[in-house]
Amino acid sequence: MTITLTVNREERIFSGDPRTPLVDVLRDHLRMTGTKAVCREGFCGACMVHVDGAPMASCLLPVGSLDGAAVNTIEGVATREHLNAVQQAFEDHDVVQCGMCFPGMVMTMSRFFQTNTSPDRDEIKAAMTGNICRCTGYERIIDALMSIRTNEATP
Amino acid sequence: MDITPYPKLFLANDLNEALRALRELADSAIPLAGATWVMRAPLRCETADQTLIDLSRIEALRTINIDQQRAVIGALATHEQIANALNGYNDLAALAQAAGHSANPAIRRMATIGGNICTAEFAAADLVPALLALDARLEFEGLDGSRTQTMAAFLDGRATRAHTDLVTRLIIPRTQRMSTHARLTLRKAGDYPVANLSVSIALDASGKISAATVAAGAVEAVAKRWTGFEEAIIGHAPSPEKMQMIAKTCLEEFDGRDAADAPGWYRLRVLPGLAADAFSTLQETTLGRAM
Repeated sequence: MTITLTVNREERIFSGDPRTPLVDVLRDHLRMTGTKAVCREGFCGACMVHVDGAPMASCLLPVGSLDGAAVNTIEGVATREHLNAVQQAFEDHDVVQCGMCFPGMVMTMSRFFQTNTSPDRDEIKAAMTGNICRCTGYERIIDALMSIRTNEATP
Repeated sequence: MDITPYPKLFLANDLNEALRALRELADSAIPLAGATWVMRAPLRCETADQTLIDLSRIEALRTINIDQQRAVIGALATHEQIANALNGYNDLAALAQAAGHSANPAIRRMATIGGNICTAEFAAADLVPALLALDARLEFEGLDGSRTQTMAAFLDGRATRAHTDLVTRLIIPRTQRMSTHARLTLRKAGDYPVANLSVSIALDASGKISAATVAAGAVEAVAKRWTGFEEAIIGHAPSPEKMQMIAKTCLEEFDGRDAADAPGWYRLRVLPGLAADAFSTLQETTLGRAM
């Protein structure tokens, strides 16, 4: 079965078992290793990508179900020269530790801030529920995310 | 004889295509709804090489319609969709809350109500006790016609059910009741419950409970009505403290499930507290306005 995806605005073809999780297609076939395969049960958030604009756990998505879909990964959210707001906040607040969970956090929260531009702290925590950091830097991560809201509120 | 060359994942474009594939492939195939359970099969050491019949393109199964008589929810409606669509309806609040607090946001975006209720091995489903408490009926479609069944009857035969038809819709009667859903997780959020409880009650003119439907999930392998508690709370004011006291006397009808996340005795021990939580929520929200 041949599956056609648009990955980071480029058409890509996958020919293989259509039950293969999207995360494995991205990492093993397309060599996009920014998306991490960690828990493989949708609970850690490290494999988060955007599918047709919505954050999805790519470990739970059989690639065959996605024929024709638009997939955006961490490699496609910004350029090296111009990070997106979430990436920039994480860097500015020096919150990245081992780095395993951060691509997924960027994908989750980039979309979240498109739908809620001035969330409070509890709303940010609720949105981050499915993204686990085992280095346990949560409060500083939330501080960094709160700064995005503050920056947007500043004229 | 022709053998239809189904790929290992068959994208059904409509219900008839899915039903024909189910009949032709029989035990070598399983329906795929939100994929959140099936895709974790390797973690459960399940190695079956089954064909997945993907239902996700059948748009007719995604719709949610609510009127004054009933709420009709397509089997492929996601938890996120349900939580949003049912928000603000007092009688349907148990299902809205169950759908809005299950697992985590990404799972809620993918997982469907059909998948949640059809997965017999998943004891900690949040939507199942909510549907029991709200007296839901299931509608099935097969190549030989359609049928309906109560949630309780479906659960009785779920583990041995043949996939000759598909759940297409959940039908919930609208009532003047108020309902809520309480759950206890070992982590604060983003976890499956070790026990959950859905409550739907009506009050008489004096503010006493005149009718109650209560269902507990995750405590045993299959969610079920808590009939002893339902009967015992009739005629009482719905105060959380009173409900907790009564709940402590009604635990004998459960046989707690031992599993990796919690032993069976613990699930029973927390049920009265969940009853208090549920009635506390009712008091803070709908009950507070009704009284």
